[in-house]
Amino acid sequence: MKKFWLFSVVGRALVVIFCVMTAVFFLIRMVPGDPAKMILGEYSTQEALESMHHALGLDLPVGEQYIRFVQTLFTQGDTGNSIINGTSTRELIADRAPVTLLLIGMACALAIVIALVLATLAATHKDKLLDHVIRIFPTVTLGMPIFWVGILLILLLSVRLHWFPVGGVGEGWWGTLYSLTLPAITVALSQIPTLVRSLRAQMLEVLESDFVVTLKAARLPSRVILFKHVLRNAALPTLILLGVNISYLIGGTLVVEQVFGIKGIGSLLFSSISKRDFPVIQGIALYCAVSVVIISLLIEILTRWLDPRTKGKP
Amino acid sequence: MKMIGTEPRLYEEHLNPTLMNRILKIPSLLVGGAMFAVLIILAVSIPFISPYDPSEQNLSAFLQPPSAEHWLGTDQLGRDLFTRLIYAARTDLSIMVLAEIVPFCMGILLGMLAGYYGKWVDKIISLITDTFIAFPFYLIVIIVAFASGAGERGIYITFMLVGWIVFARVVRGLSASYRKQEWVASAQTLGLPGIRIILRHLLPNVLPQAVVVLMTDMVGLLVAIVTLGYLGIGIAPPTPDWGTMISDGQSFITTAWWLSAVPGFAVVYTGIALSLVGDGLADLWRKK
Amino acid sequence: MSQIKLSARKSLWVGALAVLLLVIVSGCSGSKNDPAPNTAAQPGASQGTDDKSKTDETVAGGTFVYGRPASVTSFDLHNQITSNNAFAIDKVFESLVAFDSKGEIVDWLAKSHNISDDGLTYTFVLRDGLKFSNGSDVTAEDAVFSLERHLKVGGPLAISAKVDTVKATDSQTLVITLKEPYTPFISELSNFSNGIIPNNFGGVTEEEFFKKPVGTGPFVVEQWDPAGDVTFTKNTHYWQEGKPSVDKLVYKLIEDDSQAINQLKAGEVNAIESLALQNADEIKNGADTTVATNGSWVTEQIFFNTLDKHFSDVHVRRALALALDRDGLTKALTFGYAQTANSLLPTTIPYNANDTIKALNFDVTAAKAELAKSAFPDGFTTKLLVASGNSTRAQEAQIIQAAGKQIGINIEIESIELATFRERFFAYDFAVMLNSGQADSPEANSIIAFQTDPDGFSKSYWTHYTNDEVTKLLYQGQKTADGDGRAEIYSKLLQTLADEVPYLPLYYPDILIGARSSVDGLVVLPNGSVRFEDVHIQK
Repeated sequence: MKKFWLFSVVGRALVVIFCVMTAVFFLIRMVPGDPAKMILGEYSTQEALESMHHALGLDLPVGEQYIRFVQTLFTQGDTGNSIINGTSTRELIADRAPVTLLLIGMACALAIVIALVLATLAATHKDKLLDHVIRIFPTVTLGMPIFWVGILLILLLSVRLHWFPVGGVGEGWWGTLYSLTLPAITVALSQIPTLVRSLRAQMLEVLESDFVVTLKAARLPSRVILFKHVLRNAALPTLILLGVNISYLIGGTLVVEQVFGIKGIGSLLFSSISKRDFPVIQGIALYCAVSVVIISLLIEILTRWLDPRTKGKP
Repeated sequence: MKMIGTEPRLYEEHLNPTLMNRILKIPSLLVGGAMFAVLIILAVSIPFISPYDPSEQNLSAFLQPPSAEHWLGTDQLGRDLFTRLIYAARTDLSIMVLAEIVPFCMGILLGMLAGYYGKWVDKIISLITDTFIAFPFYLIVIIVAFASGAGERGIYITFMLVGWIVFARVVRGLSASYRKQEWVASAQTLGLPGIRIILRHLLPNVLPQAVVVLMTDMVGLLVAIVTLGYLGIGIAPPTPDWGTMISDGQSFITTAWWLSAVPGFAVVYTGIALSLVGDGLADLWRKK
Repeated sequence: MSQIKLSARKSLWVGALAVLLLVIVSGCSGSKNDPAPNTAAQPGASQGTDDKSKTDETVAGGTFVYGRPASVTSFDLHNQITSNNAFAIDKVFESLVAFDSKGEIVDWLAKSHNISDDGLTYTFVLRDGLKFSNGSDVTAEDAVFSLERHLKVGGPLAISAKVDTVKATDSQTLVITLKEPYTPFISELSNFSNGIIPNNFGGVTEEEFFKKPVGTGPFVVEQWDPAGDVTFTKNTHYWQEGKPSVDKLVYKLIEDDSQAINQLKAGEVNAIESLALQNADEIKNGADTTVATNGSWVTEQIFFNTLDKHFSDVHVRRALALALDRDGLTKALTFGYAQTANSLLPTTIPYNANDTIKALNFDVTAAKAELAKSAFPDGFTTKLLVASGNSTRAQEAQIIQAAGKQIGINIEIESIELATFRERFFAYDFAVMLNSGQADSPEANSIIAFQTDPDGFSKSYWTHYTNDEVTKLLYQGQKTADGDGRAEIYSKLLQTLADEVPYLPLYYPDILIGARSSVDGLVVLPNGSVRFEDVHIQK
């Protein structure tokens, strides 16, 4: 039974990934824009453009390009060489992904910790001053555009106070973590509002439910109630929300990376789309699809572990 | 908690006195609603309030600080910032609302179908949902924006493609648990058509939650529109938009910081207003 | 209830403490670790303000970090045209002749050159003792190989001169003969694309060679990430004694403009390549920063599609030109870092005639009168195509829109992203657009040929402008030797262009390089490149 479930999940994941890859392949070719013109600029010659088209295999019919693409993908595990740089896309992504993933990891860790604390406080002090103060926080920060926050943070903490570097990524473990602090805070700030909201609402529901009242009446210590039962049940929808957020972040760190000058997947995505670097765009789409699928899987496993009631759902 | 104006007027007693009462008891709803109302009033009446045209350039009076003639100063082309700010509100807010309509309806419908019918309907819709989630958001946005040329068209199309997901997910969960109720099972065995149940009973149940999500989603959409403007995609000059205003002003951040800061605050203000309304609605409907 | 509160309070403290710890730790380590990537260069304002006193004690050696908006993707000089690669190639390879910061041709790898009276024979004598960065001698055979490969490959900057033969008459002397005289040839040779590479790529394959290029230039490639940074080390065999002064040169990729400025201000880089106009004053007046500038070879222009329904009428074009206050536009948008253009050619290019030319100056009455003479006296509606992402250009468009409105021309701005923009105008699908013309060598012909030749690749910069008289003058100018005769040809040509305005020159933007005040000896060339041989970093 379990094996079947695994197969079906993996099979489904592969179908999703395949759909994404194919869709992206044709989508980017339907948009006007020619990578050769982007490389050579206005002042090139017709011959230069044509020879570049030929070298890149762009003069072949689209169907044939697709077949080639699939072949390369299965034989080399790569979506091709970057049109702009000439380097292997896989290497390019492998080079840039760690920074972005580290950024996302830091941001999420920060967001989870802060959201847990705030939501717990708010839920347990419902309608008191603390609750209201905490509730103002997501209300205000939800509408803050991420790049605006980034710009202000840089202006304040880097340019004026010199607490953090203005951008780029430092060297070594410590240097990297340090230079990613501001960006991580910026990204975390975009996550916290929805997490706090959701968690607080869920916790309130659980806290007011008959189930918890029964537990309290049974004189269970409140900490046990809180952590073992309340959080466990309340976390479910928030966890799903977190999963969706992280999935979005995988390919969505674009703006933060631009503002902070981080050479990660996000800025690579932007530049490769602007320059119509098809292999790299496809490579990133593949990377994102795979990452999202893995994350969804993890979240699903986590949900099942936390709530046995969802097992066996169609 | 303060009770603000709880005396219902005479005719309202016939409508739904308890609803009005309840609304008035929820501060977030009141404050949020009021904030939003101020914004709408400003946006609608700006042609009468301001003597300036948002595109009116005055090349000899650029980058001026706030003054009596220019309440928020002028930008780099000498245009009145306050006027531009409110016209940008018109642009951004109308796009925000219009872009939500289709995804909202689509998402609720798909969510209800997936949650209510379950089985293979759910499987297919979930597959579609998963595929869209696996797409890097910016990839779609940028490609669609590039393909549809300048302007808001790209935003509408993109949001139609991806905006429905969050509604579908929430509604699916609600529908699935709704379906588990005993009376539903018995109604089905009695031959009551599913569609009827969905439209007559499920929908009204699901709608409140969906509207709460809508409020939050709109804030997110507004931020997305502004972000696209900042990236130089989407709304094109000279149409004023908070995002392009922030981007234009970024070059002057150390000298005329208000050029970038003020539009940002406008977005935050709108976000607060909508969030409060969403919060308030959630409170309102939970107290049932 | 209180029990829950207690545990909640506890978890609050634990959580808050954790977060606080995180912040403190990162904040503390910040003040200990200097985030600057290089140690010998100016650490920047983060170390306090006592470094403002500039002593004359310059330090040799060190690493110079140059922030650039695009990465270097290839060193194959014959196949490149864009600046991201050109400005790296010119650090590694050098040509027989070069241009200085005033745009004048000087002997470089050649110690002397001679052009025969009939303009058909070019003789170059190489300097003595020239060596490649790997120590091997440079001979005329290397030059022959280099030029022949360029001729064979063609490339986007193919040699336009009709070269007949390229021969090394001895190890130091190179003779090139042309089939017909082509005065721009000498300046073509000064371009980076005619750098001298070792004969037969020095024995390795072509691909290997361009991965680890060997040239005579002041720097050698040490580490190269085609999607990131490049690190150069100084060429110990460089022919100019004692140069370069710095040990290493790093081309650091910083894609975002604001990032670049912030890093410059913080001292994380020594200079930045693309300084946006709006920030020039701020950097110039900054305590630790300054702006190195030079006139450029770029002319910002409005291009009319002469096949468009409205703009095929010369009166319409003239009317719009007269309605536009080019001077006001330049002053408002460029903060003094550009010169209003009258002529097609920037003032840094010879024969530009910018002072003597009679351009269409701002005059709304004359504009209306001119429009009345056209086929659309009551005005019309049209679209102005602009590439997005450039805020100066976006504002230019808006100023032009306002100008058109004055005389009844309704201009709608169509702002699309760069790749789509290129597709559009390459397909001649536009009525009027904003773009810029650029010379790649100090030659009048460089811009003029591209923009006036109706049979050329672009068909007069995509305007389809065809004027037989102009075409005749164009070819004459190419064949006439430098001197008054040539000057007169171009004067006539440029005046015709100013009268018929197939394109309207707006301004010549200056090249702006942001730099730390501690940097000495930066030489800005009019093509936008920078010479680092003389650079010193003060302590």
